[in-house]
Amino acid sequence: MEDDLKIGVYLCHCGVNIAGVIDMDELEEFSKTLANVSVVKQYKFMCSDTGQSMIKDDIKAGLVNRVVVAACSPRMHEPTFRRAIEGAGMNKFLFSQANIREHSSWISMNDKQGASRIAKDHIRMEVAKVSKLEPLEPQKVKVTPSCLVIGGGITGINAALDLAEQNFHVYLVETTPTIGGHMAQLDKTFPTMDCSACILTPKMVDVNQHKNITLMVYSEVDSIEGYVGNFKVTVRQKARYVDTIKCTGCGECAIKCPVSVPNEFDLGLSVRKAAYLPFPQAVPGYYTIDMDHCILCGICADPSVCEPDAIRYDDKDKLVELDIGTIIVSTGYDPFDPTPLKEYGFDKYDNVITAMQMERLLSSYGPTLGKPVRPSDLEAPHSIAFIQCVGSRDFHPGRGHKYCSRVCCMYAIKQARQYKEKHPEAKIYIFYMDVRAFGKGYEEFYEIAAREYGITFIRGRLAEVYEDPIDKGIWLRGEDTLLQTPVEIKADLVVLSVGLEARKDADQVASLLSIQKTEDGFFMEAHPKLRPVDTLTDGIFIAGVAQGPKDIPDAVAQAKGAASSAAVLMAKGEVEIEPYYSIVDADHCTGCHSCISQCPFGAITFNKFKGVSEINPAKCKGCGTCVATCPVGAISQNHFKEEQLDIIIRSVLKEGGVY
Amino acid sequence: MSHEEVIPPEYSFYLGCVIPNRYPFVEQATRNVMNELGVRLKDMEGASCCPAPGVFRSFDIPTWLTIGARNVSIAEENKADIMTMCNGCYGTLLEVNHQLTHDEQKRTFVNEQLKKIDRKFAGSVKVKHLAEVLYKDLGINTIRDAVTRTLGGLKCAVHYGCHLTKPSEIRPWDGECEDPKFFDELVEVLGCESVAYRDKQMCCGAGGGVRSAIKEVSLDFTRHKLEMMREAGAECIVVMCPFCMLQLDLGQIEVNGIFKDEISGPFAFPVFYYTQLLGLAMGMHPNELGLIKRHDLKGVPPYVNQEPLLTQIFQKLGYDYKQLQKQSVKAVS
Repeated sequence: MEDDLKIGVYLCHCGVNIAGVIDMDELEEFSKTLANVSVVKQYKFMCSDTGQSMIKDDIKAGLVNRVVVAACSPRMHEPTFRRAIEGAGMNKFLFSQANIREHSSWISMNDKQGASRIAKDHIRMEVAKVSKLEPLEPQKVKVTPSCLVIGGGITGINAALDLAEQNFHVYLVETTPTIGGHMAQLDKTFPTMDCSACILTPKMVDVNQHKNITLMVYSEVDSIEGYVGNFKVTVRQKARYVDTIKCTGCGECAIKCPVSVPNEFDLGLSVRKAAYLPFPQAVPGYYTIDMDHCILCGICADPSVCEPDAIRYDDKDKLVELDIGTIIVSTGYDPFDPTPLKEYGFDKYDNVITAMQMERLLSSYGPTLGKPVRPSDLEAPHSIAFIQCVGSRDFHPGRGHKYCSRVCCMYAIKQARQYKEKHPEAKIYIFYMDVRAFGKGYEEFYEIAAREYGITFIRGRLAEVYEDPIDKGIWLRGEDTLLQTPVEIKADLVVLSVGLEARKDADQVASLLSIQKTEDGFFMEAHPKLRPVDTLTDGIFIAGVAQGPKDIPDAVAQAKGAASSAAVLMAKGEVEIEPYYSIVDADHCTGCHSCISQCPFGAITFNKFKGVSEINPAKCKGCGTCVATCPVGAISQNHFKEEQLDIIIRSVLKEGGVY
Repeated sequence: MSHEEVIPPEYSFYLGCVIPNRYPFVEQATRNVMNELGVRLKDMEGASCCPAPGVFRSFDIPTWLTIGARNVSIAEENKADIMTMCNGCYGTLLEVNHQLTHDEQKRTFVNEQLKKIDRKFAGSVKVKHLAEVLYKDLGINTIRDAVTRTLGGLKCAVHYGCHLTKPSEIRPWDGECEDPKFFDELVEVLGCESVAYRDKQMCCGAGGGVRSAIKEVSLDFTRHKLEMMREAGAECIVVMCPFCMLQLDLGQIEVNGIFKDEISGPFAFPVFYYTQLLGLAMGMHPNELGLIKRHDLKGVPPYVNQEPLLTQIFQKLGYDYKQLQKQSVKAVS
């Protein structure tokens, strides 16, 4: 068998990414010395058409029957090379990729010799490994033509509608009693000044009425099992204490309800009842009883109050099981809480508010019906100061986030212009670090704000604010870094332009779905440029601010992208998954059940008649736990068999590698 | 009740320069109060200037590190964490200790220097400010329990000082430097009112070598702080740093002179070090706390006359300031 091995080693320069650090000729000479290597070639870009053809031609000519490509991470190009090999008629699992870019030339850029030694070790290991690889056949599984969209903001709504229009069934799960998300709280949208509700609410209604969408509000995903195309999802429909079939949305219960609590939709600027509808245009339009605050007085259940008899105090959470093919995560964000930034006095002074609160004050269906007032005396402010980058672009620990939240410059300018339109005499200041007006029409929007509206832009991060004890005005103290002079300005109202941050439950969502997060707390895309809405878990996509801060157009674009990616899988109807499942050797299995108790995916069952464990390849995720658990070594895992791992270790130890 | 042996908390007592030279009664008050609280203070034989962060660190970091390390090494011999009463000393010793425990290169350099005088920096002790010892080590509840009489709602302008809270990263106040509360709490458990005044976290004006270099700028800071305190209706100033104390005490006399035409009237806030008021609230005698100044002493601290305010406070507590003053003259002569 060994005599038949003909290993081809293909060295990629990756432009200067690898060849700029590592001597490729030396690497070629080295590769030739390795056992069973028949061909060694190098090329500028192995992933290019020409590079792939080099491999294909050698296979077709019978020069090689095992392939090692030493290049970038397999996360990047393993599928590319596998396709090439398969195209040349070879089994694509007889291939291995040595990562000499991320693992060698990039991390050891300043140590060329070290980088070269590491690269050699990687090639040595992969050459050893391919000599023991076996041909495998990929598994094909069916994809259920249904998509679970988690989060009913503008992103989730668009994704759901796009998929539903293509005749895929969509389950849209939303944790609050209504869809609409943060966009429903906004008054107008920059730079076109479209009324947010006017463009959003028709879409909300479309979702509710679409025959292919099952809307599950006031619901949360409880558990997810299975794999791409075949997820089993359990959704918890939280008890609403209102019979949604009977409720007509008349609102009598809320009028009579004696319990008032701060309204989260207005960020505490108004009150709602314990029986409530979050906002007038909520979809679906039936009421909810908030049991955390309900005192069970029984008034709303009285037939004279709720004529349709829709109140159900004994309502309970319901668990609904769904068969799902693909999942789109569009869970959105939380606005940054500025309380820890003590110098801005958010928790200390009445007249310091967040931009989200300002948005509600500007909204025609907000607590002041669109006429902003300052909290201390409910008078219209004569001067407003906006403080930018609150919780954003700050590298000090505990003071927010390093990233730019991308929307604050524009929403502050928008709010400033809105107020100026109604109060031309008002003085408006915007304290900024840089104005980032990068989108279509944004720069023009900003220019006009400064030139025509007379909004004063002051470059400088504010040092602190303090309250005038007499009139409750707010003094702002900082530096105008363009004029290089200290400034001290008094404003009637201060608006903190708070950034966007990952939702508090992002960790739970990530572990529920087995998806990753980036350092900033948002969900991680499979590739920042080329797979921006994919995750590393097949069949699960991310879109909107859940992936990172973005404005409405970008969020909608991603929603459409994610919907398209999900549709590709569902339209094909089947998907290949890697055959890395484990196999029980029935001759050696003693039937001890150890593997069954350890399997995290419930993929192993016990065959009573044969007295041995059996693994369901479709359920097995190839984690290898059972292989390690089996006390008699009766389980092996495809592509990671003991002899395949063993030879890798031996190859470096014997040759005295750097490890 | 079991009679378990309680090991009293122990600290290496670092005096610094300003207290022994300008405000020796602050050392007296602190020693007596800590003794009353069951804290053992070990003297640091041969300790020198910390050296001052503004003057030394700004010009010569290696020297600053080495002298600081020498002081820390004395506490290491004592096998007890350092307790300092001065924000500047705290700033230096804490930073030196932190840098040398985290930076091997600097440690090696400093130890090469210290070897010449048979000393070594090991990094085995912590550096604490008196405020941390009181608020965190002993705990605010211990202080509350030790208080036996109230100071009758005395309106105090609490001045934290810069080095006590900044830079916040290596200090024990959970990153809080914009709006800390611990000193106010310590003052309020004495039955005093900590008045809110603007620019509370602003520098007294002395630090960073400013007092030595540009006195007028330094006093302009002080003037602003004093005006803010007056606006808030404070009766006295409470500090936990002798350099801030000097600036706010002697500084009042100076401000009253050079800013005569700009201020609405001369300032006369008595300035107390925290342990002086704490001792009083714990039932200790004013004599133990350096609160009685002989009438015939001129040109020595405290510079602002404390007699009118102390007379009022003492009346409520059953002392007579004049009488105590006479006794102290007799006791000396």
